[in-house]
Amino acid sequence: MTSLLDDTRAALDRAIDVYRGTEDGDRLGHVRARLDEPLRVAVAGRIKAGKSTLLNALVGERLAPTDAGECTRIVTWYADGHTYRVEAELTDGDARQLSFTRDEGVIDVDLGGLPPEKVTRLLVTWPSARLRTATLIDTPGIGSLSESVAQRTWDLLSASGEDAADAPADAVLYLLRHLHSHDLEFLRAFHDTEVSHPNPVNAIGVLSRADEIGVGRLDSMTSASKIAARMASDPTVRTVVQTVVPVAGLLAETAATLTEAEVARLRRIAELPVADADALLLTADRFVDRMPELGVTSTEREELLDRFGLFGIRLATSVLRHRVASTATELATVLTERSGIGELNQLLRSLFFDRRDVLKSRSALAALDALTRAAPRPGSEAVAADVERIMASAHPFQELRVLSAIRAGWVTGKPAVLDDLEHVIGGTGADIGQRLRLADDDSHDARVAAASAALDRWQRRAENPLTKHELAVAARVAIRSCEGMLTELRRTS
Amino acid sequence: MAMASQPAGKEAVARATAAVSAGIKACGAYNRPDLAKRLERAAASLAEPSVPVVVVGEFKQGKSSLVNALLGANICPVDDDVATAIPTSVAYGEQQRAELVLEGDPPVREPIELSDVRRWVVESDPVTAAVEPEPVNADRGRPVGVEVTLPRKLLSGGLTLVDTPGVGGLGSAHAAASLAAASMADALVFVTDASQELTRSELDFLIKARNLCSAVVCVLTKTDFYPRWRTIAELNAKHLRELGEPPIIPVSSTLRSQAAATGDTALNTESGFPELVTFLSAQVGGGAARRRAATAAGEVATACTQIEAQFEAERAALDDPEQAKRVVAELTEAKERAAALKSTAAKWSQTLTDGAADLTSDIEHDLRGRIRGVLQEASDAIEESDPADTWHEMESWLEARVAHELIENYTMLRDRAIELSERVGEHFREASGGVLDAIAVRNPEPMLAGAKIDHKIELERMKVGKQAMVALKSAYGGAIMFVMLGTLTGVSLGPIALGIGLVMGRKGLRDEKQRQRSARQSQAKNAVRRYCDEVSFVAQKDSRDTMRAIQRQLRDYYTGLAEEFNTSNAEALQRATEAAARTKSERAKRLADIDAEMDRLKQLREHAMAVTS
Repeated sequence: MTSLLDDTRAALDRAIDVYRGTEDGDRLGHVRARLDEPLRVAVAGRIKAGKSTLLNALVGERLAPTDAGECTRIVTWYADGHTYRVEAELTDGDARQLSFTRDEGVIDVDLGGLPPEKVTRLLVTWPSARLRTATLIDTPGIGSLSESVAQRTWDLLSASGEDAADAPADAVLYLLRHLHSHDLEFLRAFHDTEVSHPNPVNAIGVLSRADEIGVGRLDSMTSASKIAARMASDPTVRTVVQTVVPVAGLLAETAATLTEAEVARLRRIAELPVADADALLLTADRFVDRMPELGVTSTEREELLDRFGLFGIRLATSVLRHRVASTATELATVLTERSGIGELNQLLRSLFFDRRDVLKSRSALAALDALTRAAPRPGSEAVAADVERIMASAHPFQELRVLSAIRAGWVTGKPAVLDDLEHVIGGTGADIGQRLRLADDDSHDARVAAASAALDRWQRRAENPLTKHELAVAARVAIRSCEGMLTELRRTS
Repeated sequence: MAMASQPAGKEAVARATAAVSAGIKACGAYNRPDLAKRLERAAASLAEPSVPVVVVGEFKQGKSSLVNALLGANICPVDDDVATAIPTSVAYGEQQRAELVLEGDPPVREPIELSDVRRWVVESDPVTAAVEPEPVNADRGRPVGVEVTLPRKLLSGGLTLVDTPGVGGLGSAHAAASLAAASMADALVFVTDASQELTRSELDFLIKARNLCSAVVCVLTKTDFYPRWRTIAELNAKHLRELGEPPIIPVSSTLRSQAAATGDTALNTESGFPELVTFLSAQVGGGAARRRAATAAGEVATACTQIEAQFEAERAALDDPEQAKRVVAELTEAKERAAALKSTAAKWSQTLTDGAADLTSDIEHDLRGRIRGVLQEASDAIEESDPADTWHEMESWLEARVAHELIENYTMLRDRAIELSERVGEHFREASGGVLDAIAVRNPEPMLAGAKIDHKIELERMKVGKQAMVALKSAYGGAIMFVMLGTLTGVSLGPIALGIGLVMGRKGLRDEKQRQRSARQSQAKNAVRRYCDEVSFVAQKDSRDTMRAIQRQLRDYYTGLAEEFNTSNAEALQRATEAAARTKSERAKRLADIDAEMDRLKQLREHAMAVTS
């Protein structure tokens, strides 16, 4: 059995033959090369949603500049590489290497007199283990006051028309602050309609700036989790993202780069009597101005506010006071855990990275499909037929199609049955353990037994004459998923 | 400086109230119950002022917290997640009370417990809804708003704060309803938090609101939590520069609540609320009070003018028997003109009838054009996409789009109605000025030289297009916001049968998809057409009713005035005729009496004129 990636590669090779010598042929070469590159994950959302902050938290370094005002105005790619360098790709197709400085870690790019509107994107090459699994794309926010800035992101993410072949992202992290009509419209634009219908398969919703939801109360994250859970169960949201998780981006970013000096300053506040500390932390202004005798200068306090936010300081000092943590390393662990970034990383792994091949093929086939329509040539019908065959027959795509059909409400049934279906077809993670809802330490035999039981179950559902047509179709896909799992389990035994 | 204008507003109202009650007495003394009745209405509007202030903003910007902190009461529910779903208005009342407003014509009001407000106001919460099912009563309309009264000093000047649902992007139907409310309000409080600068949609909303509402203030909330709020305030000031620089007031509701709990005045100052309170009471409340006072004073002056006119006629007749004949002749002639003024053949009445008819048809034409445009856009959009994917957005897009066309249509109605009202007033003034002049003009006495000019001034005051606004406001009752929302959201697009099968298999996948897609597209187009028809129908009825209400209001107002002029004229004629028949000694005595009366009237008029100076 050939793999999906091999099939895709073969289809691309045939297409490259057909389009050889044309501009499109070169583009297809890029598409083919892309199959072997790391997955491209775009971080997108409305203006000031905290995209750059989250990106930094994911990389574990303060790379992307962040500010109170609107900050990211140029689409910026962060990719792994051997050297540190920044390259600008210009609207006229040229590329130019730029010089940059680092200010407390943050990359400050000198555009060298280039007007930002002339720059299509910045490519930051940065040796980093985290970037080896995924190239991250930082985007300007939607809802920006300057139209051209927002347009960039639309161009980047809406895989429509002739640009479809260049749709640069394989998956997207969509940052939502509160559910907003603009957000949904935006999400839809990202999902191409050809591989299947709008598809939650390559998008995760992140309820960002989660620490601000309770305006700084210590239980803010609990509140944020509830909101995220509600959003994730909203049918409209479910049709576009797989799930929604809350993340306090600033906290995660700071935790990843925490210094002992900062902890020492926080400790001084933690050592104050509780009432005094509460009074000091009542407002951000007070925190900077009051208690000059504390031994932390107001500049240092402003820095703390920038790094932690008022919520972060309240949380960190309370953690230190109760001796839950005392060193920078310990505090970083606690803050990371509270920030929700761990959960997001886990989701990224099971929903994106484990499915890398499918997502990659999907992007490539979409590009190919768009090309054969936009620029037919002798021989391109055969390529189009290839694409349709792979899309219609490749089992992973069928799984994705069933998943989006469930989410769109076309496949109906008892909630428990649909939940089971989502799991079995890998909707919650492609790993066998996740599909069968097994614990990590379950034995091999238990896995085989669970897979056989699932196969049985879905065979019965498929054959039951009372099962609705749509569910029966989906059930047949589930059967294949179960058979696939059994085959794999036998191979690894 | 701002502080100084607050007592001015209150003082103006106090002076106006005094002038009005003196005027009512005078009308009684001079046996003019018709004028007295008008002044009584003026007195009532002085005693029970209504100054609506609408609080608007995006979701979760802290609107409800702001209203709570402002009033020092826990009225509007605040929650991390669920948002305000229907508007709450808070006005002055000696007792705390809450009423639920239910959809209906007119809206039905039902008393509820203050603690129950939350249950009605917030979006239906799946958790509590499961535990405590909403009492369903088929006979009742949908709840559209909650009205609360509170004994608060801030509200005593008639301020009514309306906490609204988040606008949810400029495009939403809620935004349209908020704009409608803003057009009726004396001020708009735009709420945005310090987490980020104003967004495109917020700014767009502000631009529209600015054109509909004269006083706009931008409140920057949550300054306690965001260290960079000063930067944000500066950025916002820059964005607002082109909007006539509405004031930006940074506040912290948390601090204000804490200050109220601990009685800490320094903390209260730090919260930024005193500035907002001053703005609301001095600028908004004070301004509205001065306008109210000026209106009432204008009514008093008009009444004075009419009574004076009677005396002047009599005086002229008494002064010179030769003159008397001419005065009587002129007044007799004026009588006919005055009678003509209240007949339907009067020019103003014609203007009103024709104008209203033209306006109604123009408005309907405009609406049809707009809806047709929407339909076209919708069909194009459907043609380009698969309704199975886009129906959800299509629905909210369509609702919002239609809502905004309705608002534009309504704005046109409002502007044109004001224009019409001005034209009618103009025509009325042209005709009536003649009548009043005829009554009073031939007076040689230098003492009254100013009187002629005065007539103009007072009549000038009546001109203001506000009669149309009075009509608009009364047409929608106090619940404009609720009603507009009802019209906009009462019609629903409904689901379309998607007719989707899960297609698997290698062959014909694309063809089958295409076939299903076409079927969905035509269904979607039909649904959109039905929706637009329904909305046009409702909106047309709505604008016709409104137009009728405006026409009635204008007709009644000017007919009333004409009646008064008739009475004044008749009275003057009678007095002049009597005067001609008096003996010389009687005349001298009467002249002295009249001078004394006119002196009193002059004083009263001066009083009234001084109300706002």
